[in-house]
Amino acid sequence: MSDRRVFVDYIARTEGDGAIDIIIGPNGEIKKARWEVWEPPRFFESFMIGRKYDEVPEIVQRICGICPHAHHLAAVKAVERAMGVKVSRQTNLLRELLHYGDWIQSHTLHVYCLAAPDYLGYESVLAMAGDADLLPIVKQALALKRLANDMSVVIQGNEIQNRTSVVGGFTSVPSASDLKKLQEQLKEAKEFAFGTAKLAAQLASQSPYPDLVRKCEHVALHNEEKYPINEGRLVSTEGLDVPDWEYPQWILEKHVPGCNCLHAVIKGRDSLMVGPLARVNNNFDQLSADAKAVAKEVGFSAPSFNPFHSIIARALETLHAIDTSIALIDELGEPKYEEPKYEIKAGEGYAITEAARGICCHGGKIDKDGVCKAWDIVAPTSRNVYNLEKDFEYFVPKLLNLSDEELTLKCEMMIRNYDPCQSCATHSIKVNLRREG
Amino acid sequence: MAKPTVAFFKFSSCAGCQLSVLNLEPVLLDLVGTIDIRYFVMAKRENFEGPYTIGFVEGAVTSPKELLELKKIREECSILVAMGSCACHGGLPSIKNYCGMTQKEMEEKVYTELWDLNSIPAYGIDYYVKVDAYLRGCPMDKGEFVELVKSALKGVNPLFRNHSICNECKLKENNCLLLQGIPCMGPVTAAGCGAQCPSRGRGCEGCRGPASDCNAASLARTFADIGLSKDDVVRKFRKYAGNTPEFSKGAEAL
Repeated sequence: MSDRRVFVDYIARTEGDGAIDIIIGPNGEIKKARWEVWEPPRFFESFMIGRKYDEVPEIVQRICGICPHAHHLAAVKAVERAMGVKVSRQTNLLRELLHYGDWIQSHTLHVYCLAAPDYLGYESVLAMAGDADLLPIVKQALALKRLANDMSVVIQGNEIQNRTSVVGGFTSVPSASDLKKLQEQLKEAKEFAFGTAKLAAQLASQSPYPDLVRKCEHVALHNEEKYPINEGRLVSTEGLDVPDWEYPQWILEKHVPGCNCLHAVIKGRDSLMVGPLARVNNNFDQLSADAKAVAKEVGFSAPSFNPFHSIIARALETLHAIDTSIALIDELGEPKYEEPKYEIKAGEGYAITEAARGICCHGGKIDKDGVCKAWDIVAPTSRNVYNLEKDFEYFVPKLLNLSDEELTLKCEMMIRNYDPCQSCATHSIKVNLRREG
Repeated sequence: MAKPTVAFFKFSSCAGCQLSVLNLEPVLLDLVGTIDIRYFVMAKRENFEGPYTIGFVEGAVTSPKELLELKKIREECSILVAMGSCACHGGLPSIKNYCGMTQKEMEEKVYTELWDLNSIPAYGIDYYVKVDAYLRGCPMDKGEFVELVKSALKGVNPLFRNHSICNECKLKENNCLLLQGIPCMGPVTAAGCGAQCPSRGRGCEGCRGPASDCNAASLARTFADIGLSKDDVVRKFRKYAGNTPEFSKGAEAL
């Protein structure tokens, strides 16, 4: 009797390099379930020491090309807290609009280019585009992603790494006419976003996904007034409710025997999940009216502890992001240039934003000359690794009747549920599947 | 004529340059029709061994494993392209080469288990192998990427002119930021981005690396004249392309 092993050395359609290694014993018991990141460490937290306060948000956005704004905005807020900088309402609105654009881009990329090929049996979105029936959908998805990228260009000058957002505000602001054009396109994109939610629910309703439920602690920001993206308290489905800057006291790392990487846990409890499903579960009431209505229509109710419902959560959030962006553009009216004004002061500050793939925490110390003395980065994917390994341990035994090829694909999908950003996750994360029997 | 086979590889970086390829939405499907993408792990589940006509490499080399992979990639690709700041010049990861800490000190600040880290100083890929073309910038410029693919299809050299960003500001009739006392790396940085930052009131940070014949030492002295400290000046030049001889002159000028 030998072990059965699932091994994938490069996980496709994720951002960054990772691998899976699962070993299944002769009686179907999981002997090992690991997700490892190959991604070589870049030492951001080390080389940040000695850089200037205004370089910190510029540099940390380069941790991840897919969620740069989440890293950037968390760092901007942390620096502003450290130095006691207050920003205008317009700056907060622009930051929110910038980040919602990033969500639309990231979620559309994930739903159509990274996840849908799995559910529909294609190796990539490019292969999907080769199917005459699917080509129009692929084209619409690419058009929505284009629109999200255009939002980024209008607000800050580049699709990825931001050019104008700085400590204290923006070095230039978008014109009202450019924002109005975006708003018109966003209104037109709503129908496709409704369709995406229905498609996502349909894909996730195929066997065996509805049976793959596992209760665990879902952690997100929460804000009574509005859906959390740039601000809120840190809450969970198990009753955590603390100010965001207290995250270093509540999200801890521990060594798990047999593994040299650190595992994220909530203080006094166990693994946690962050990301769109955790956000929707903690903030369903704050979603836009249309997002809530379509959730009801497709039969989704919160809280859901089925990680395959993440694709539905992404679709709901895309619709919500479009609705909110339309409203934000009205609220912004005609943005006026405001010179970023502040004094350089010594201090310590921490902040969290919600990256498309979950909470993104930054913070550290700035000295009286504005030089960074310490910087802490807690990226979302590294929080999810331990929880994903628990998904493997719980779900793989339910799927042992599948062929090795099918089982391997399902394990990859369990990873893609988290839309991992492995560039951020170097602190932890590998799938080999091996069965004994 | 057979379609050129294309591969995308990633070393130490943020994946933003690969994402820029996927951000070519309006021309993405047309572009994909003219080439045969054989290896692109971020976008595809089916990937094939080389050889390839064109290999695009994103990221800096920061580990012995990456170095071995790079040497294999060089052998497999007729045309090897450095894609983005990190692959061209070492990029942001190269800050660690100059941060004043030993490798071990840096490792201890971030990790508790150091035994399998094996990190080496961060360099662009041409530190180790011959590179045929460079797509500069953080992230790379998509227009230049399309230009390069079109040129490769036609069998001609892409015309990337590495004059300074100042030329682009003049063409756009931007007010010079340096004259307003705002530190700007434009005079020493290669053009091609359309002066994205200076056109929006923000000083150039030099992400595209040195322009041809740039006088970095002179700009370093200008920075000192407008009030930057010696440390500030070093930070300006040791950021995206601190490994290059040109920017090193700026960092060592004061």
